[in-house]
Amino acid sequence: MNQLLAAALTLILGALLAILPVKNTWRATFGLLSQTIATLLTWLAVVPVLAGGTAPYVELPWGYPIGAVHFRLDALGAFFLSWSLPMTLLGAVYAVGYLRQYFDTPRHVGVHFGLLNMISLSFLMVYTGEHAVTFLMGWEIAALSAWLLVIWDYTNQKVRFAGFNYLVSTHIGLIFLVAAFMILYTQTQSWYLDDFGDWMSANPSTIRNTVFLLLLTSFGLKSAFFPFHSWLPRAHAAAPANVSALMSGVIHKAGLFALLHFLLIQGKPDAWMGWALIAFSVTSAVIGGLYTVGQRDLKRMLGYSSTENVGIAGIGFGIGILGMAWGTPGLVALGFGGGMLHVLNHAFFKCQLFYAAGCVYQAKHGVDIERLGGLAKLMPITALSFLVGGVAIAALPPFNGFASEFLIYSGLFTDDAVGVWAKLALGGVATLLAFVGAVSALSITRAYGVIFMGHSRDDTLPPGHEPSGWMLAPLLVHTAGTVLLGLMPVLGLALVAAPTRLFLRSMPDALAQEAMQTLQTILTRVGLISITITGLIALLWALNCVLRRQSVASGPTWGCGYTAGSARVQYTGSSFSRDFSQHYDGVMVILKRQKAPLGYFPNDAYVITDCVDAVERRLYNVISQGDHSAGLISKLMHEDDPRPSFALGLAAIVVIAALVVLADGALP
Amino acid sequence: MSTPMLLTLAHIVMALMMPILLVGVINRTKSWWAARKGPSLVQTFHDLRRLLQKRPVVSTTATPLFRLSAYVVLACALLALSFVPILGQFSPLSFDQDFVVMAYTLGLARIVLMLSAMDVGSPFEAMGAAREASFGAFAEPALFLLLGTLSAATGMGSFADMLGHLHNTTYYALIVLPLALALLILLQTEAARVPVDDPLTHLELTMIHEVMILDHSGPELAAMQYAAGLKMTIYAGLIATLLNPFAPLDAPLAAIVTSVLLMLVVAVVVGCFESLMARLPLRWVPRYVWLAGWLVALAALTVGVTGTSL
Repeated sequence: MNQLLAAALTLILGALLAILPVKNTWRATFGLLSQTIATLLTWLAVVPVLAGGTAPYVELPWGYPIGAVHFRLDALGAFFLSWSLPMTLLGAVYAVGYLRQYFDTPRHVGVHFGLLNMISLSFLMVYTGEHAVTFLMGWEIAALSAWLLVIWDYTNQKVRFAGFNYLVSTHIGLIFLVAAFMILYTQTQSWYLDDFGDWMSANPSTIRNTVFLLLLTSFGLKSAFFPFHSWLPRAHAAAPANVSALMSGVIHKAGLFALLHFLLIQGKPDAWMGWALIAFSVTSAVIGGLYTVGQRDLKRMLGYSSTENVGIAGIGFGIGILGMAWGTPGLVALGFGGGMLHVLNHAFFKCQLFYAAGCVYQAKHGVDIERLGGLAKLMPITALSFLVGGVAIAALPPFNGFASEFLIYSGLFTDDAVGVWAKLALGGVATLLAFVGAVSALSITRAYGVIFMGHSRDDTLPPGHEPSGWMLAPLLVHTAGTVLLGLMPVLGLALVAAPTRLFLRSMPDALAQEAMQTLQTILTRVGLISITITGLIALLWALNCVLRRQSVASGPTWGCGYTAGSARVQYTGSSFSRDFSQHYDGVMVILKRQKAPLGYFPNDAYVITDCVDAVERRLYNVISQGDHSAGLISKLMHEDDPRPSFALGLAAIVVIAALVVLADGALP
Repeated sequence: MSTPMLLTLAHIVMALMMPILLVGVINRTKSWWAARKGPSLVQTFHDLRRLLQKRPVVSTTATPLFRLSAYVVLACALLALSFVPILGQFSPLSFDQDFVVMAYTLGLARIVLMLSAMDVGSPFEAMGAAREASFGAFAEPALFLLLGTLSAATGMGSFADMLGHLHNTTYYALIVLPLALALLILLQTEAARVPVDDPLTHLELTMIHEVMILDHSGPELAAMQYAAGLKMTIYAGLIATLLNPFAPLDAPLAAIVTSVLLMLVVAVVVGCFESLMARLPLRWVPRYVWLAGWLVALAALTVGVTGTSL
């Protein structure tokens, strides 16, 4: 635990040094250095816990009214810390390349690195905090730092709006969280999360169910589950690429961590909680997946795919809850193991995709899919990394997304003795998951095919080129992780095993052991399959090279009889998705503006399509309607007349007094 | 020779033979309906051999992925076939949830095929890829619903066990018909046959699979076509196993012979479809694929209702 304290102090010191009035290069150096030291110190603390050691614990005295604060590093927190800090470090490395142009300007780059340090600090607080106040403080530090990181380009009004949108949404989530904590505090008279958990496991009542729903809503907002996602694509499109990557891949996993943490301490859950989480997650996965299809902005598309992927991880957790409720250790291991592995895998490939998108942005000054094209030849490394990440995000072998989804599928097609309707329902979930897989394959084909293949669609943009080493290095580290975790998923299991065992602790030892063994067997097998596929492809390619008698000729693309086509006749992103999206116009609202060609010699014609967020659109409609009706009500009530206000004030005081009397006196 | 070894050998022989033979039988059926003599049953073999000797021409726009794609698709199709029980309750590679591996391996083949189509920058090929992507997104859920139904009906883990064990359950008589029909629709979708797609059309605007491989030539085209045949073998084999009453581990020869015959019957049925109806307008195709999903949903409902009353 001392290492973690040292890491926290290093991060704070680094953040302070990064805002000193020195040259930007020095500020970045301080940021990176402190991040590196903190990462190494965290690993020192985390590795023994993940290897099965006891959870270190520290108690720091604090003044009234908070009391002593506790920090405990259990296997769950250790798992999340083990990759959150290093990935934030990689994000900081990427920032050096991405913000390079600002280094020699008066712009204060140190703030960016200081805020990244604060993000790491918030991980340390949230993932180990046992006290409600430190937990909430960490939560809030993460939210505010992320907001400030998003509005890096604050002179742009759109960016400020996206940041504000995020700030409001994340605080709505906070309200739900605080509400849950207040209810728990009134029940337990304690600020410790342990005591919350003890009370929840001892009193399975309506209050516990309410708390569960409040927590689910709050953590859902944090992790951008549907329908609480609308802030996310905006924020991701507006932020610098490394911030989008960290928000999507790392920071918002805090919501999933908190969900897991409460599931862990609340004792045996009810089956309905599992079904509720599964329903919530499947909706998220399906709708998030559908939205990825229509987006023009690459980073928006990747943002929506985060909603989809937290949904997939959530399905895993839901299966785990069902397993806990039904007392089947196999489901617990597959569900939580698969879900957590997916969280890890998603962190790897999502950051990778955002980094690749950032490389494209740097080269072309934009990520509008419809204006790009043919970048694979100019940026081969970026293209390859994007492709690997894309195949992984579509959960296809041989990369890591497949391993975790296979575990989740294994849970869904369980051969444990559960009822026939339950099995069919799980089969239905598997069906939707398969749909999500196919849809994400579609959108990744669309993104890669349009951006990196064919010809450039807009010659007014600067030509593409590979980015600097500072940006390539984090990209390649993530790519290597994606490939390695795909070919050897047991490496991922090494990280996930200890936290999964925590969920199995109420089960008999022998059964729990067996369940973990199954996990091991399945992942070994998945690794073998991935290696076989890779090997088989290599074998066929080698055979082709050895047996080929003639050299390859090259010629123009087959033009189907028409050879004067320009680059603009190529399929665009929206034409690619149209075949699919026309069947889902209820969810995917496609706005179309067009001017048709007129006359025999038309000179000006265009068509612009844009896929907008239906939830956000309806939300704004409701808000503007609400504004209107509020105005109407205020008019009807003669608001300038003070008497109704006094009457309402009096009524409120009476109600509060009544509540105090009914709740057995004032709170202690 | 032990029975599993014999069956594995038979599986390999069928994997090599069936892609050629099935296409031959379909074409023969079509020519029979048209009162023509028709090509030889192994004409596809000669076509492939001819292609293997040709010099490939690659578009100047293409990236290296283009040439690799054909071999990825072939490798995936071969690997997928090794998980599929085509001889009854047996497949060479079999473990719990192997069907997920099968579906996702084919998914990798699909995405690589679509990317290779986008790679040459031709609007026609990208159009084919877009159609493949959207029809795939309709077909894949139907397949998984079918798997979920089988899993619920039998309580078994692997593909071979689920399909083989289904014969011993009370549900078999009730759900065999909708499942077989659903698999037939999936075959027509995945193997690009009429009424979903027409492999013989001459207009690029109406094609799906063929338009995606317009720019492939020589050995790469051969690999793509063979892989398409393997995909058809997978679905024809699944239908055969669904209907095959023999257990291959007890009566290997009877099971193999029945299976081959059933697969040829499936080819004849596909051929009859191609002779007797035109391909559907593209906007109707999703509904046709949805039909597979509804048929499976019906079977799932049957399993649920009778399962709880048993």
